[in-house]
Amino acid sequence: MRLVTSRFLENLKMAFDTLRGNKLRAFLTIIGVVVGVITVMLISSIISGIQLAVEDQIKSFGTRSIFVYKMDIGIRFDRPSREERMRPDLTLEDALALRELSEVETAVPFLNASSGWWGNATIISANGKQTSNINLTGTLPEISVAGTEVVLEGRWFTQAEVDFKKDVCLIGETVKETFYPNESAVGKTLEINGREFRIIGHLEKKAQLLGDQDESNTIYVPFGSALRIKPNADDVFIMAVANEGRIAQAQDQIEDLLRTRRKVAFGRPNNFSTATADSIIDQFNSITAGVAIAMVVISSIGLLIGGIGVMNIMLVSVTERTREIGIRKAIGAKQSDILIQFLIEAGTLTGFGGLIGLAIGWGLSLIIALFFPSYVPYWAPPLGFFASVGIGIVFGLFPAWKAARLDPIESLRYE
Amino acid sequence: MENSNTEDGPNASSAGTAMAKEESLILMKNIWKTYQMGVEELHALRDVSFQVEKGDYLAIIGPSGSGKSTLMNLIGCLDSPSKGTYLINGHLVSEMTDDELARIRNKEIGFVFQTFNLLARATALHNVELPLIYAGVRASERHDRATAALESVELGDRTLHRPNELSGGQRQRVAIARALINNPSILLADEPTGALDSKTSVEIMALFEKLHAAGNTIIVVTHEHEVAERAHRVITIRDGQIEKDERIK
Ligand SMILES: Nc1ncnc2c1ncn2[C@@H]1O[C@H](COP(=O)(O)OP(=O)(O)OP(=O)(O)O)[C@@H](O)[C@H]1O
Ligand SMILES: [Mg+2]
Repeated sequence: MRLVTSRFLENLKMAFDTLRGNKLRAFLTIIGVVVGVITVMLISSIISGIQLAVEDQIKSFGTRSIFVYKMDIGIRFDRPSREERMRPDLTLEDALALRELSEVETAVPFLNASSGWWGNATIISANGKQTSNINLTGTLPEISVAGTEVVLEGRWFTQAEVDFKKDVCLIGETVKETFYPNESAVGKTLEINGREFRIIGHLEKKAQLLGDQDESNTIYVPFGSALRIKPNADDVFIMAVANEGRIAQAQDQIEDLLRTRRKVAFGRPNNFSTATADSIIDQFNSITAGVAIAMVVISSIGLLIGGIGVMNIMLVSVTERTREIGIRKAIGAKQSDILIQFLIEAGTLTGFGGLIGLAIGWGLSLIIALFFPSYVPYWAPPLGFFASVGIGIVFGLFPAWKAARLDPIESLRYE
Repeated sequence: MENSNTEDGPNASSAGTAMAKEESLILMKNIWKTYQMGVEELHALRDVSFQVEKGDYLAIIGPSGSGKSTLMNLIGCLDSPSKGTYLINGHLVSEMTDDELARIRNKEIGFVFQTFNLLARATALHNVELPLIYAGVRASERHDRATAALESVELGDRTLHRPNELSGGQRQRVAIARALINNPSILLADEPTGALDSKTSVEIMALFEKLHAAGNTIIVVTHEHEVAERAHRVITIRDGQIEKDERIK
């Protein structure tokens, strides 16, 4: 065993000597491998980053939460169809009805009272500043049970404040930064379309995805108050909270009830959709799995091209070093010695390329991480390295075999 | 004639007993080496038979192109004959596996080539170490033994030179140090003094004599009479045939 390792180290040393002697060629050979490994590193770190961010954000909605909306929920790349947009809106009554289900702990409606693309803008002003670019959402006190928003300071509104349509609100971190950056906002006021609202709570900043809308740029007001601000608001989103461990049953009950309430004929598809954090994460994972497969294919092609390059160079190298092989055989090298020597040489060559690729890829992904949520997954560096070494060994096999089979005396005569 | 000559030598040295024949270090019977040159056949060796006992000191002489190197390559198990049988230490070489041949080339035979055959990119030290690597000797011992071997050919101050940084005679001495590093029982030297001045030649010949005195078997190809005269037995080759085989000591 000791002899084997010492032999291996000896071969490794010889391999390095040879590579040092042929720097330019070695460099050209490994470019393909370097590029392949960089690709693996970059794509895997970007995918992992997105995945982590998406999971974080979706998980922040709670693992017991079921989202209900008239249009399809989830990650989509197309615009809602006309049929989807024409569906009847969900209502406050739908949300209250869901609360009666046995597996549903509570359900909260979210009424979107923000400025629309057209029609009257919702102007919000306070502390001498004014904007219409804030999401305004009407909801109910049970939002505190859902746990999707965390109150940093202050409290949620009470049922009484909802019943009497009190002018109170809670503001997201971004809103606070806009109006009251350097002081506590709780107890202060802000004006929504000229009505004065008392700020009773300030919410924790939410997980943020690049390019996604700012979830913390939101003001929550009692449901009725939102309707008073924007009487024609009808865009309701419902979040139901299932009993612990009963999310699938709750989802079934919700769908049954809503089909009845929305008069969906037997055998027709739902004219609304429900989703859970898990279902959205699953959906996302199936997308990233597709990207990951594409990545494997692309980098395999890169590595394959690198491998063919390695085979080519090794074949040239074997021919050029015919005499050396003859000499080695003449003084006692076995076929296996020559075979191993060339395999180690090829593996060292591409493994070295792999290390360079890892270094560059790591550096690049650190730079990318400054702008984009990304991190190098733990499996990527070993995968990149061993794939590189493996490519060298696999594609070095044929040249090494050719070298090992050379006839000693003919090799010695080779000019 | 030629025939009687070829028979005289071996018969005289084996002194009649079948046992002696069995134990010959090298035994060649009716060896042919034929190269196919297009339609023509070129016989580099024709029906060569001879034997060498352990501890002998043999010189092979003959004109250029007579087949001396061809014969040496066969003896050194680098090449295989077209016809005939070759036994080394009683073992049929044609039946040996590749690994067995490698072991013999590594441990039993030290070959000094006419053209040195050193690894161009490796230092003198590494060149001398190489047979030890294939013999599986540990690095530290290898280094010590190779250094000592280079010192014994007076190259102790050139261990880290590469072949192209050495003179012809120095390269030849590196090749000799490499051939001797594994204490082979047979030393084969093809024109070992061809590239050397007469003073160095004398030193090399003295080294060979010392090795012979230590019990090693030495076979040397040469066309220098001074070198051939040092041997105990001289075989003359002409046109691929043994022309003369005489014991001189
Ligand atoms: N590979 C080969 N192919 C064809 N002919 C060969 C080959 N090797 C040797 N020969 C021929 O065999 C003959 C013997 O060659 P060899 O090298 O044994 O001569 P030599 O006695 O060693 O000569 P020198 O003293 O010049 O070294 C020569 O005629 C040579 O041309
Ligand atoms: Mg010759």
